[in-house]
Amino acid sequence: MHNLTEFLAKYKHWFLFVALEVLSMVLLFRFNDYQGSVWFTSANYVTGVAYEATSKVTSYLSMGALNEKLTKRNVELEQQVRELSSKLYDKTKDSIYLQKGQYHFLSKFRLIQAKVVSNSLDRPDNFITINKGTWDGVRKDMGVACGNGVVGIVYMAGIHYAVVIPVLNSKSNISCSIQGRNYFGYLHWNGGASNMAYLDDVPRHAKFKLGDRIVTSGYSSVFPAGVLVGKIKHVYNSEDGLSYRLAVQLSTDFGNLRDVCVIDDASIREQRQVIKAAQDSIKPLEEQNATQGQ
Amino acid sequence: MNIDFLKRLLWFTVLIVVQVFVLNHIHLFAVATPLLYIYFILQLHRNYPQWASMLWGFFMGVVIDTFSNTPGVAAGALTLIAAVQPFVLQPFIPRDSSDDFQPGMDTLGVPQYTWYASILTFIYNVVFFSLEMFSFFNVLEWLECVIGSSLLTLILILVVENVRRR
Repeated sequence: MHNLTEFLAKYKHWFLFVALEVLSMVLLFRFNDYQGSVWFTSANYVTGVAYEATSKVTSYLSMGALNEKLTKRNVELEQQVRELSSKLYDKTKDSIYLQKGQYHFLSKFRLIQAKVVSNSLDRPDNFITINKGTWDGVRKDMGVACGNGVVGIVYMAGIHYAVVIPVLNSKSNISCSIQGRNYFGYLHWNGGASNMAYLDDVPRHAKFKLGDRIVTSGYSSVFPAGVLVGKIKHVYNSEDGLSYRLAVQLSTDFGNLRDVCVIDDASIREQRQVIKAAQDSIKPLEEQNATQGQ
Repeated sequence: MNIDFLKRLLWFTVLIVVQVFVLNHIHLFAVATPLLYIYFILQLHRNYPQWASMLWGFFMGVVIDTFSNTPGVAAGALTLIAAVQPFVLQPFIPRDSSDDFQPGMDTLGVPQYTWYASILTFIYNVVFFSLEMFSFFNVLEWLECVIGSSLLTLILILVVENVRRR
């Protein structure tokens, strides 16, 4: 016993070393599926406040260019609305229907305005922190978009801050379709340029041309259909040759991201509940089949 | 709570603030990020209690990780170099120097100090980037990051040490 205590006392720092390393590895490997680790990411309050203070300062520096872009975008959208409403009026000759339709479309979503407080571009797995959390109604798996297009999906929500997995993350997986043609695929990113991503699993028989717009498909129960993602830049064959792989020029400028909004869509929540209920009801059937098979 | 502890705490805070708000945003040629905070470990004097240096390293790593969304990466790597620092320092210490010999450019001389700093910097970068890219391994990218960041970190450490000496 005496020898044992002496041994422990002599090598105590090595035990401490092993304990600390094990603790670090636990943090490292459990981060991805461990929701409690919100404390050790930038979704926690202290880091959020610190990042917000610095981003307030830096946002002044890029205010001019940002304003210009927003105004341009605004003009573009206004023009689009005018064009579309005139088309609709031509078709229906009914201006009351027009107003009703737009109200209806807007009332479906609740948009939560948020500011980006930290952001990165050049890692294999980038993350964005925004300054809205569960108290503002942000929940896990909500979609995030900005004026130019899609940004990403909320991954963790703290009380006042949330971490978003942007398109620029190897784990990001957003269901998208080609606008007007409705073929769909999954948007992935695997490092490299911050304005390019790839749309995988587009069928061989799909018809499209370079420059076609890619929008969210609405299948993923995160984004409503029709949020802009980007334009087709190149077409490649997939590795197995069974589908196309489209290089997509992203419309969102991730290097210059300040204002985003989180999309809280009541109908999406309902959709997700229905899917979950369906999955739950299939499970007992599968289990039954499995036991019968044995 | 002695003056030595407070001094270290000040360095601890300053290095973290500088790293998180300035240096983390530098990515020279998209590969090299200066990781200046390991300067804290380089400063530990001879016979500094090992349990204390490892705890310093670990907590510094946890704070850095928390700010840069890389849980466990810097914490693990910093704990490791805090553990090996005495062994790296040992061969460089001149004969009949005091028990609490402080490694620095003025005490070791410039070439010796550069060697000492570069060995620890290199070990740290290898471990750090290996852990960071665990799920996304690309040998060439890893090598570029390790070499680029090691060089940049080393240059920055030598500059800081040089300025501090005067």
